[in-house]
Amino acid sequence: MQFTTTKDALVNAVNTVSKAVSGKTTLPILEGILFQVQDDEIFLMGTDMEIGIKTKLTGDIKREGKVVLSARLLSELVRKLPEDEVSFILNENNMTKITCLNSEFNIQGESGEDFPKLPEINGEKNTVIPKDLFRSMIKETVFAVAKNDNIPILTGELLEIEEGRIKLVALDGYRLALRQGKTEEGISLKEVIPERTLVELYRLLSLKNEDLKLSATVNQVLFTLGDTSMVSSLLQGDYINYKQIIPSNHTTRVKIRKDELQSSCERASLMARDGKNNLIKMNFSGNNLEIKSNSELGNLHENITMDMEGDPLKIAFNCNYFIDALKVISEDEIVLEFTTSVSPCILKPVEGDHFVYLILPVRYIEH
Amino acid sequence: MDRIIFHIDVNSAYLSWEAVYRLQHGSLTDLRTLSSAIGGDEKSRHGIILAKSEIAKKYGIKTGESLREAKSKCPEIMLIPPNYRLYMKCSNAFYEILCEYSSLVQRYSVDECFLDYTDSQALYGDPLEAAYSIKERVKKELGFTVNIGISSKKLLAKMASELEKPDKVHTIFEHEIKEKMWPLPIEELFMVGRRTAPKLRGLGIKTIGDLAKYDRELIRIHLKSFGEMIWNYANGIDSSTVKKEESIQKGIGNSTTISYDVTDRKEAHLVLLSLTEMVSMRLREADMLTKVISVSVKNFGFSTYSHQRKLPGPTDCTMVIYENVTQLFDQVWKGEPIRHLGVHLTDLCGKEFYQISIFDKNDRERQMQADRVMDALRKKYGNDTLVRSSFINSGIRPIRGGVGEDNYQMMSSLL
Repeated sequence: MQFTTTKDALVNAVNTVSKAVSGKTTLPILEGILFQVQDDEIFLMGTDMEIGIKTKLTGDIKREGKVVLSARLLSELVRKLPEDEVSFILNENNMTKITCLNSEFNIQGESGEDFPKLPEINGEKNTVIPKDLFRSMIKETVFAVAKNDNIPILTGELLEIEEGRIKLVALDGYRLALRQGKTEEGISLKEVIPERTLVELYRLLSLKNEDLKLSATVNQVLFTLGDTSMVSSLLQGDYINYKQIIPSNHTTRVKIRKDELQSSCERASLMARDGKNNLIKMNFSGNNLEIKSNSELGNLHENITMDMEGDPLKIAFNCNYFIDALKVISEDEIVLEFTTSVSPCILKPVEGDHFVYLILPVRYIEH
Repeated sequence: MDRIIFHIDVNSAYLSWEAVYRLQHGSLTDLRTLSSAIGGDEKSRHGIILAKSEIAKKYGIKTGESLREAKSKCPEIMLIPPNYRLYMKCSNAFYEILCEYSSLVQRYSVDECFLDYTDSQALYGDPLEAAYSIKERVKKELGFTVNIGISSKKLLAKMASELEKPDKVHTIFEHEIKEKMWPLPIEELFMVGRRTAPKLRGLGIKTIGDLAKYDRELIRIHLKSFGEMIWNYANGIDSSTVKKEESIQKGIGNSTTISYDVTDRKEAHLVLLSLTEMVSMRLREADMLTKVISVSVKNFGFSTYSHQRKLPGPTDCTMVIYENVTQLFDQVWKGEPIRHLGVHLTDLCGKEFYQISIFDKNDRERQMQADRVMDALRKKYGNDTLVRSSFINSGIRPIRGGVGEDNYQMMSSLL
């Protein structure tokens, strides 16, 4: 294997694939990045067997071959190289010579033959997803993924494509986040994608400008962005029937300025910082929302004007759940819907249905 | 100003309480005047001495040794199985009397309390006189004797109450340390037990005084921070204060040794259900919810293992706890004969806030109400009033485990 490339291209490619390399593994070869030169192309690949990222590196090819080099060492090394051409030469016993201007490294590699192959995905279900939409869909839902694996399926998000609608749903038992938009027609899909895959995909989507293509098989999914592709296993099992959880009617409907509610919740969280319940009490009545929170630290009391239809209501929440949702909403005004003080609250846009956030309240005993 | 601390310790608590109970119920002999001891039921293989009479003590019977050892030392010894419910009642009555003498009483274990007498002097006068009147009142009203230690520090008060027993009041104020505490053998020092004493004796430390005079740095090299702590104790240095009764319980647990080896899964589940009934009743009594459930198994070869799980949300519902208990048991049990089972609830939290979950069962409220009704009935008419039908003809006691000392945290974690 012998090729020449630029430092910038190399830094980019190494950064892209090293996110799939796991820090701790029982298989030492997975701590490395595969460099492969074949058929006039240079490929870099990293995997932890759950996700795998492969990307193309542009360069001048002299000889084919492959080798695995330590990801940790390499990402440090390439960053510290001077801005110039970098050449790779694979010598005997997987010794790899990396030359840049006057520096010459000789790095001990491992045989490229031992590196696991990424599964070939030729899924029956192929589609192009609007890139910017999908990126914001991830950002606006991923916070609601379950943080522990009591219920393993909830450590991922449900991706649903049907009749030209694409939906991403996350829920952790206490809240739910749903984001949807338009996409290509003609494909129907329902898969649960691990949180980590989505987080890494979000990062890739921020770096690349190409279209996002998706291809799914029974237990794997492939995302392609130009010269970079990412394979991930899918979570097995049925996702919770989220439609059943979202109430369809309400007895109290509130229209409120999002920024005001968010700042108010953030102030309340200062007082509720005992870490346990982060309780914020809301009292909707007339055209006034009264907000209270208290702990050993002190207490907060404030009022927000809003529009209300229906019955007055006193209800309490973990204020962090509200803050998480309000932070990712870009609308100026939102609608809150309630039925009772022990049933879910719905946050949705004034018009349209591109997001739904559901938050379950905290029942408390008033002293 | 120096504080005045009392340490009040019930003499041979379990045995005294049992003796008083029997006298009140028509027994003609006082257990305390016989060679007797409280210990598990030999037939069902609970095998250790928990408390002994003064006479039994003369035969060399020690707390913690097996029933068989005790019998070999004194064949005619009278062994009585423990009755934790009775002990809790006695302990509560004892605590209530103490509360009349100070607003600061710390329940240290089932049979000992610390009392901060500093601010009570204006009302009850001289500490020594008050201690004698407490001692006499307990004896007269409750029928058992106590030792009271008086000092300006908790540690010294505790050491004082351990001096001569029974039915005595002692003081160890700071000026008395040399004379009253230092001549005692090192084993008598608080926190020095079976494991530490031989180490200290190896260093030539035979008495508390030897330790007090030992080089502090040297003892730290040998026993680390623990060494420093007991060196401080030997010198009467202790700055802990009397805390109000600890309401923060770390966990609630019950376990039981089964009188035969259980090999059937269903049967093990029934035993677990009987323990779960007790544990969850106690949890509700404490007005708490649990977030972590654990099950422990001791098999016929005496090896113990356990398995625990964090719940998605806190609960106090018997059936929810039981469901998790059986799942945990099924996951961990290897199929071998079982001797002993335990159910423990930890990570407790209060009830005033409850984060509602999507996964709350629809009948959660109803189950909680049913639990409340069952608790009320059992409390009023006794635990046998309501029994789950799965126990009928099973030969297994429907509710198992005492309300005993597991309630209290270990001493070392408090002082």
